[in-house]
Amino acid sequence: MSSSAESNLAWRHRKAAVFKGFCLTVTGLAVVILVVLLYQVSVIGLPWLDGQFLSSFPSRFPEKAGIKSALAGTLWLVSMTAMIAIPVGVLAAVYLEEYARPGRVTEFININIANLAGVPSIVYGILGLAIFVRFFALERSVISGALTMSLLILPVIIIAAKEAIRAVPSSLRQAAYAVGATRWQVVKAHVLPSAMPGILTGIILALSRAIGETAPLIMIGALTYVTFIPEGPMDEFTALPIQIFNWTSRPQQEFHELASAGIIVLLVVLLMMNALAVYIRNRGTR
Amino acid sequence: MQDDKTGVILDIDDVCISYSGELAVRNVSLPIYEKKITAIIGPSGCGKSTLLRSLNRMNDFIPGCELTGTVTFGDVNLVNADPVDLRRRIGMVFQRPNPFPKSIHRNVAWGPTINGFSGDMDERVEKALQQAALWDEVKDRLQDSALNLSGGQQQRLCIARALAMEPEIILMDEPCSALDPVSTARIEDLLFELKENYTIVIVTHNMQQAARVSEYTAFLENGVLVEYGDTEDVFTNPRNQRTEDYVTGRFG
Amino acid sequence: MKQSHIRYSEKLLEILFFLCAAISVVTTIAVIVVLAVETYGFLKQVPVTEFLFGTLWTPLLEPKSYGLLPLLSGTMLIVVGASLVALPIGVASAVYLSEYASDKTRRMLKPVLEVLAGIPTVVYGFFALTFVTPIIKIFLPETHVFNAASAAIVVGIMVLPMVASLCDDALRAVPASLREGAYSLGATSFEVTTRVVLPAGLSGIFAAFVLAISRAIGETMAVTLAAGATPNLTLNPLESIQTMTAYIVQVSLGDTPAGTLTYQTLFAVAAVLFLITLVLNIAANSIMKRFQEVYE
Repeated sequence: MSSSAESNLAWRHRKAAVFKGFCLTVTGLAVVILVVLLYQVSVIGLPWLDGQFLSSFPSRFPEKAGIKSALAGTLWLVSMTAMIAIPVGVLAAVYLEEYARPGRVTEFININIANLAGVPSIVYGILGLAIFVRFFALERSVISGALTMSLLILPVIIIAAKEAIRAVPSSLRQAAYAVGATRWQVVKAHVLPSAMPGILTGIILALSRAIGETAPLIMIGALTYVTFIPEGPMDEFTALPIQIFNWTSRPQQEFHELASAGIIVLLVVLLMMNALAVYIRNRGTR
Repeated sequence: MQDDKTGVILDIDDVCISYSGELAVRNVSLPIYEKKITAIIGPSGCGKSTLLRSLNRMNDFIPGCELTGTVTFGDVNLVNADPVDLRRRIGMVFQRPNPFPKSIHRNVAWGPTINGFSGDMDERVEKALQQAALWDEVKDRLQDSALNLSGGQQQRLCIARALAMEPEIILMDEPCSALDPVSTARIEDLLFELKENYTIVIVTHNMQQAARVSEYTAFLENGVLVEYGDTEDVFTNPRNQRTEDYVTGRFG
Repeated sequence: MKQSHIRYSEKLLEILFFLCAAISVVTTIAVIVVLAVETYGFLKQVPVTEFLFGTLWTPLLEPKSYGLLPLLSGTMLIVVGASLVALPIGVASAVYLSEYASDKTRRMLKPVLEVLAGIPTVVYGFFALTFVTPIIKIFLPETHVFNAASAAIVVGIMVLPMVASLCDDALRAVPASLREGAYSLGATSFEVTTRVVLPAGLSGIFAAFVLAISRAIGETMAVTLAAGATPNLTLNPLESIQTMTAYIVQVSLGDTPAGTLTYQTLFAVAAVLFLITLVLNIAANSIMKRFQEVYE
């Protein structure tokens, strides 16, 4: 019994070690994939990345092509999306956490938001096409794109803001109420400032999602060949991911290299936003 | 007394335990006698749980926790022992009942199963539940989830789970702190029966409990062993003023 | 006087905030109405049995045919392939993160997962086309330039961070006291993980799987770029296929006038896509909610 238990024990230890090694290897593999991916998508584009690339309009000739209009379009799109989605999202979260009485209606809205967060982005594109482009006749404009993007990222902002607001200790609210503050005064002066790091993190992550989304913009018909910079919300536009998509779907190697250069720009922007989000969150938790 | 090692199953010698460099237990030496109950008492945060958890190497899971000194179990130093092998010989019951979210039967059978027990499992389960004085209450619903039991029943199930391994020593970390007085009394009764066959080390902040159930008592304060001796001596005739203050409730 | 003024503006604010929250409900209703109206128009011309059970999808070619099965099978190929990549790797990484990694390692790896999750799908599409497909072709030269396998692998990599992160949450929600109880009975880390922690976190893991599948079904750019535009009723992952999402992109890249049957196919396909993902999301959310209740 004892000797068989001994060998049994050795075997069990070996199994545990193999299992741990397996999990470690697989996790390492995932990290390696990330590194390979980032390296692979950027290395062939690096030689193309220069001032000319950033300051030229798209062109049939790869050596003359650039992302000027795509960058401008993305900037327009994100700014307008932010102007629409941030106030609506944060105030919706304020309502759900601070005002709404717990009950069926609130529960329904919350479940609805959770489910909206999982709706494929292309369905938002279809919605944008039918409602903003066609029904409201906003055409293929920056504003159509921004409204569609806003609907897409609203659930992300609301969920993040709700979590941040819920994390504010209720003793803080009670202290403010106790000196005679109204609900909005409590929210404005105490709840929102305390929740701000969490809300900002959520906003940044939501906006970086808007920067990278491609499918909804294709749906609403963001043009791929735009040789001008939008001057108002009703102008047509293109965006960085659309330009990357367009170049990738061409067969010529040169355009793939251009796409790769565009990806570098896109990833640099997103990584910076990610780093900012992590920085704000870490400062908030300290 | 310190020199007479007969009947000592676990010999704690000059043990220091630190968390990330901060000492929680300082130079504690203590014998644990076979088939007796040893109580470790002291104010909260005095290191008594830390000391107890070092006896079956549960502190291994706490990053930065280090132990110096020796704990001799039989003829091996615990520091060099295989923790898995060690833990099946030294069982543990925790502060809060922590049954697995499985059936009552599976809870008790779990330890023997993973350790390759090949005998009659139903018999083993019944015996353990009998010893834990839980059998009569659960014999008709062994396949029910353990989570449906009351807190006191859950704790006795956890004792049965430990007993099913037929350990040589059972460590109990404030086993009644989350229980009502009736359940507490049942578990104390149980301890009296168990010491016929098992060595028990119990950590408790409840001095009456220590006085009632144990043969030996160790009093710890700020990680230092202030006094150790026969329970009766410690409670009625303490050698140290601090012990007297504590057991008579004059501080804490 | 001033009091009632304050109360009045407080009430106005509350109504404003409510309207903001209500936008989400309006969005859902708008999605349902838009999809339903156009799908109804579509089904007036194409019998529902042909749409759901037809085996030929050629709305852009003569003779036109509107059988959804090729698009569904294409989507399923991607889902199965992506699951094979993402689910095992995701669970194993989650086990490593929650059971083995030190706090310091965790703090380094979690942001890496977030970065992976934040990479736009068009980048994954580029990766599939220019890196994964050539590698598959080395081993299996008969592979088409556009193929399901490459897209599926990349979609798997894409949903992997979400799976790992949600499973990690599920495992960490399992109380430490259960692990201690198991270790105190002389279990090894393997036994504690596989027999106590994973079963206890199972519903959370299951919810993560369901969400991952839902994400893979709705994924658009990577499959559009890498899997092709051939509605093909096949189980061969090395062939070119088309998913529901890729079809929608294909049509909207062209110039399709509103009101035509082709325009309506967009909405009919999107309606199916929306329904499937909605059912999966509701299922996952309710599983997760019940799971949280158990341990709170």
